[in-house]
Amino acid sequence: MTHRNGTAVRIETAAYASHWQGVAPSAKALFALGGMGAAWVATRPATLAALAAVLALAALIGARVPLRTYVAVALPPLGFLLLSCLTMLATPGVDGSWYWAGSMWPAVVRTAGRSLAMLAALLGFVLTTPLPDLLALLRRLGTPDLLLDLMALCYRMLFVLRQAWIDGVTAQDARLGYGGWRHAWRSTGLLVGQMAVQVWQRAAALQMAADARGYQGLLRFLPAVFPHARRQNAWAGLAALLLLLAAAGDRV
Amino acid sequence: MKPLIEMKAVGHVFADGSSGLRDCSLALGRGRRHALLGANGAGKTTLLQHLNGLLRPSAGQLLLEGHPYDYGRHGLAQLRRRVGLVFQNPERQLFSAQVEEDVSFGPLNLGLDEATVRARVEAALDMVGLRGHARRAVHHLSFGQKKRVCIAGVLAMAPDVLLLDEPMAGLDAPMQDELAALLDRLAARGTTILLSTHDIDFAYRWADDLHLMAGGGVIASGPAQAVGADVDALEAAGQRPPVALALHAHLVTRGVLPPGPSPRSVDAVLDALRTLPIKPLMRTPT
Repeated sequence: MTHRNGTAVRIETAAYASHWQGVAPSAKALFALGGMGAAWVATRPATLAALAAVLALAALIGARVPLRTYVAVALPPLGFLLLSCLTMLATPGVDGSWYWAGSMWPAVVRTAGRSLAMLAALLGFVLTTPLPDLLALLRRLGTPDLLLDLMALCYRMLFVLRQAWIDGVTAQDARLGYGGWRHAWRSTGLLVGQMAVQVWQRAAALQMAADARGYQGLLRFLPAVFPHARRQNAWAGLAALLLLLAAAGDRV
Repeated sequence: MKPLIEMKAVGHVFADGSSGLRDCSLALGRGRRHALLGANGAGKTTLLQHLNGLLRPSAGQLLLEGHPYDYGRHGLAQLRRRVGLVFQNPERQLFSAQVEEDVSFGPLNLGLDEATVRARVEAALDMVGLRGHARRAVHHLSFGQKKRVCIAGVLAMAPDVLLLDEPMAGLDAPMQDELAALLDRLAARGTTILLSTHDIDFAYRWADDLHLMAGGGVIASGPAQAVGADVDALEAAGQRPPVALALHAHLVTRGVLPPGPSPRSVDAVLDALRTLPIKPLMRTPT
């Protein structure tokens, strides 16, 4: 069996390798929000397409996110978008038969364009911002601590358990655990059961490790410092404003 | 000299009824390097967790500078500030995704201000040679690097006593040397260190005091040279005699080396051999 990187791992790897890792998360969030706002305001398909292109190129060229990663992460939502567009165009009639709703075409194009621009804005943010930076930003914005603690632990556990899963599958594979579908099902079932025990054990171990370092009921970490945050926020705000102005031109 | 930490006849029974420690007594001298040796299941980890206050004794008591351990909230916080524990498996100790964040967890729990915490985190990462990895993801690090992050996380709390549960496990030889050098630096600064290990040669070479465990109790304790020469106690603890000691004894018996205090490492025995003049081999008549 081979192990392929899932979407979460791809996103995370890209975020840590991004050329914008040192840019303040607040600046990246501002730019992404500007892009989303512009996608909301714009109405013409050409404007929406240009907006999506600008946002995608910002991530690909500005932040140097690899094209392969970008496409791999964008594919699932793009597939969902394609399916949604098709269901808008192929509609069931009152007699039960299906027919092509050509009149929906303008609405479909606008919806697709808007979704693409929104997706590009969101990808530009998540593919350049490691989750710990995002959590620090959310903490500054007043998100409840309990929610952030859960996110931090789930995020860390995602990688710990992924490694444990890979180790388990490799160990089973080495003893012919996946030679045939019956063996594969049995091995997977055994591993799922074993992982449940591991989750419980690891949770207990983490609690103990936290207690050993003076845990007081709140997971407190030092936020990263972004010395040029003010300047970066100003540039991001300006870029977001330009996007919004360009989009607002559609409504004039 | 009054010991910094003392365990007096401590017993511990786990929730499932199994016994972790039995009548276990131990004294840790201040500023000394201590090594804890014993077979698997002898109770080494249980003992370390008692010293850090993670486990409470079912019988007996623990003393810090002559005062019984305070298991209240404030008392435990004070205890863990002074007695830091590094676990064996880093995957079970690290819970933040970023190196710098994880190291900051302990000092932030001490209630220190951000500037002090930041300075401590930098110093701790410097000490373990990971300053350049501060903003890296923990899961992108090698096993040895993760282990060093764990140590930095405890060092950032500036403990008086550093407990390490099998710190050499899973490390290759150069990393073991690096870790030993780090422990030497910490010991030179006055930190009391207690580590558990299965490597008698390392323990004999490195430690000032050896403590042997078997069946949940400490069966021998004392200066490394005395305990390392106690063959019966070593056997009872499932340990073989240190190679340096055995080698030196053989060489003395055969008249190659003069009698005297035995060196602490094989390298030291080799150094002693190098000082001897080289004689051509005598062919034995047949």
